[in-house]
Amino acid sequence: MTRILLIDDEPDIVRVLSRSLRADGYEVSSATSGAQGLAEFERVHPEIVITDIKMASMDGIEVLKQVKRREPEAEVIIITGHGDIANAVEALHFGASDFINKPLRDEALTIALKRAEEKIDIRRRLKEYTLDLEGKIEIATRELRRRSNFLSKLIRSSYEGIVATDEHSRIVVFNPGAERIFGYFQDEIVNQRHLSELLSEELAGTVQRAMTSQRSFKELPWREASIASKSGEPIPVMFSGSILYEDDQKLGAVVFFQDLREVKRLQRELVHSERLAAVGQTVAGLAHGIKNILHGLKGGSYLVDVGIAKKDDQKLRKGWEMIKRAIERTSNLVMDLLSYSKEREPQFETCSPNAIAAEVCDLVRERAKQEHTELVCDFDPAIGSVRMDPHTLHTVLLNLVSNAVDACLFDESTSKKWRVGVRTAAEPGSLIRFEVSDNGTGMNDEVKEKMFTSFYSTKGHRGTGLGLLVTHKLVEEHGGRIHVDTEAGRGTTVTVWLPFREAASKA
Amino acid sequence: MAKKVLTVDDDPDVRLFTTTVLEENGYVPVEAGNGEEGLQMIKSEHPDLVILDVLMPRQSGIRLYRELKTSKALANVKIIILSGIAKKTFLRSQQALTEFGESPVPEPDFYLEKPVEADVLADTIRKAIG
Repeated sequence: MTRILLIDDEPDIVRVLSRSLRADGYEVSSATSGAQGLAEFERVHPEIVITDIKMASMDGIEVLKQVKRREPEAEVIIITGHGDIANAVEALHFGASDFINKPLRDEALTIALKRAEEKIDIRRRLKEYTLDLEGKIEIATRELRRRSNFLSKLIRSSYEGIVATDEHSRIVVFNPGAERIFGYFQDEIVNQRHLSELLSEELAGTVQRAMTSQRSFKELPWREASIASKSGEPIPVMFSGSILYEDDQKLGAVVFFQDLREVKRLQRELVHSERLAAVGQTVAGLAHGIKNILHGLKGGSYLVDVGIAKKDDQKLRKGWEMIKRAIERTSNLVMDLLSYSKEREPQFETCSPNAIAAEVCDLVRERAKQEHTELVCDFDPAIGSVRMDPHTLHTVLLNLVSNAVDACLFDESTSKKWRVGVRTAAEPGSLIRFEVSDNGTGMNDEVKEKMFTSFYSTKGHRGTGLGLLVTHKLVEEHGGRIHVDTEAGRGTTVTVWLPFREAASKA
Repeated sequence: MAKKVLTVDDDPDVRLFTTTVLEENGYVPVEAGNGEEGLQMIKSEHPDLVILDVLMPRQSGIRLYRELKTSKALANVKIIILSGIAKKTFLRSQQALTEFGESPVPEPDFYLEKPVEADVLADTIRKAIG
C-alpha cells in the first residue's frame, strides 16, 4: 500500500483530503506545518509527499528541498495557488514530481498521484532489474572463475606434458608434466623461451608449419618422437598438438607430450626376458644342431686316429678339415646365440643397401647354382646411400637369402625350376623394403607358427633354429618390421621394412 | 665277397666318416647325397645295408625309409637310421604319415643318434649284416 504524507497549514483541507485519499486506498499520515511534516517524513518514510506551497514558517519549497535531501527518490507533489506559475516552475526545478492548483479537484489529484506512482513503480522495477543483473553477473563471474580454476588445475595435474604458446611461438603454459619430461622448471621457460628452443628442428618445424598454414592443418595427430631434456638425455615421447583459434584469429599452439620412457623400458625388459626364456629353451631346441656338430668332431677325430695309425696322410688331413669345419659351425652357432641373447643398439652408418644386398647375393650365388636354383636380383636404383646399420642389413639378408635357397633345396618337387628373388625398393616414410622370395617348400601352419618363437629347424645339419630368431630381433632393434607370406609347396616371400636416416650430404 | 653298404646323408663330412668306418671294417662303401639319389643307388648298386640320415634336402630319410619298406622288391634291404633327430621324433613323423592314410611301416631295426662313436657304428653294422 502506497504511503502518502499530507502537509497543509489548513487543518480542514488536511482532514478532507486525508479522508478522500484513505477512501482511495492510500495509507495517509498528515501534518499542519513544514517542520511537523519533516518529522513525520522521518517517522513513516512515505513514498509520496503532498505539500501546500504557502505555509507559515517553512514553505512548501523548503519542505521539498528537505525531503529530497533526505530521500531523493521520494515523489513530492506541490499544491500551488491558482495561477502561481512562478512557484510551480521553481518547485519543478527543485525536483517536485508534479503540481496541482488550488482549489483542489479530485481528478487533478488522481492524475498527479497516478503519475507519481508510475514513476515509483518504474524506478522500483529498474532497481530490481539492476539488482538482478548484478546478481547474475556475480554468478557468471563465479562460474567463470570456477571453470578457469578447473581448467588450470586440469592442466597442472595432467600427467601429460602440456606446453602452450602464443601466436609468436613464445611459451605461455608449461605444466608440471612438461617439467617432468623436459627437466626445466616452469619459471625457466614461461614467457622466456620459444617452442623452437625446446624441440628438435623437425618437431618445432611441424608445429610452425601448422601455425602458418591455413586452417586445414589444425590438428597434429599423435605420433612417436624424441625430445632432448635439459640434461641432453634423449627422451622418447608420444607427441601431438593443436593450433588454437578464437573465431578466425590464431591464438597460439598447444602441444602434448606423453613420456614413453617407462613404457619403452618395460617393453625392453619384456623382450629381453622373453628372449632369455627362449635361450633357456635352447638346451632342447639346439640339441639337434649340437649333435650334428659333435658328430662332425667325433668323425673328424676318428679319421685323424686312422690317419695316424696307418700313416695315411690323406685321411689325417681330411679328418683335420672335418674337425675345423665342426669348429667353424660351433663358432657360428655360439655367435648366433650370443647375438640373439644380447641387446644391441643398431649402429647407423652411411652405407649403400643395394651394395650390401649385392654382396649377400654374391656370397650365396655359388651355392644356389650348385643346387640348381636361379638367383634373381632387382635393386631399386633410387635408394643410393643412406644411414642404417650395415651389420643388421647384412645379417638379415644373408639369413633370408640362405633360407630361400634352402627352401628350394629341401623342396621335394620334381618339376619345379627353382628361383630365389631378392628385391629392394625405396618406400615413403624413410623406409626401404627388402623382399626375399622363393618358390621352394613353403611352410605349413606348424612351421609358420614356430618360425619366430622357438629354436626350431627343419633343415637337418644345416639348421640351428636361430636364423629367423636373430633376423627378427635385428629387424625389431632397427625399428623395422617383418612380414612372411608362405604356402606349403608354393614358396615363401619374406618382406622386411627397415627405416633409414638421410646420409649426411657430401660437402 | 665284401659286403656293400650305402650311406645316404647330405653332409659330406658324415659320409666321409661313415665310409671310413666302413673301409676300416672291411666293407665296400657307396654314397648318396640325398634321398632321391639314394633310391637310385639302391636300385643300381643293390647294397646289403643302407645307413640313412633323416633330414635331407630333395627327399627326406622319412620318405625314403617309407618307400623302401612299402616296396616288395626293396622291403628286405637292411637299414640303419643315423640321424641328429631322436628316434621318438622319427617314429612320430612316420606315425603322422600313417594317420594321413599312408600304409603303416615297421620300426627301423637299428637306430643310431648322432654323434655316434666309430666302434658303436661298426658294431651295429656287424649286427645288421654280419
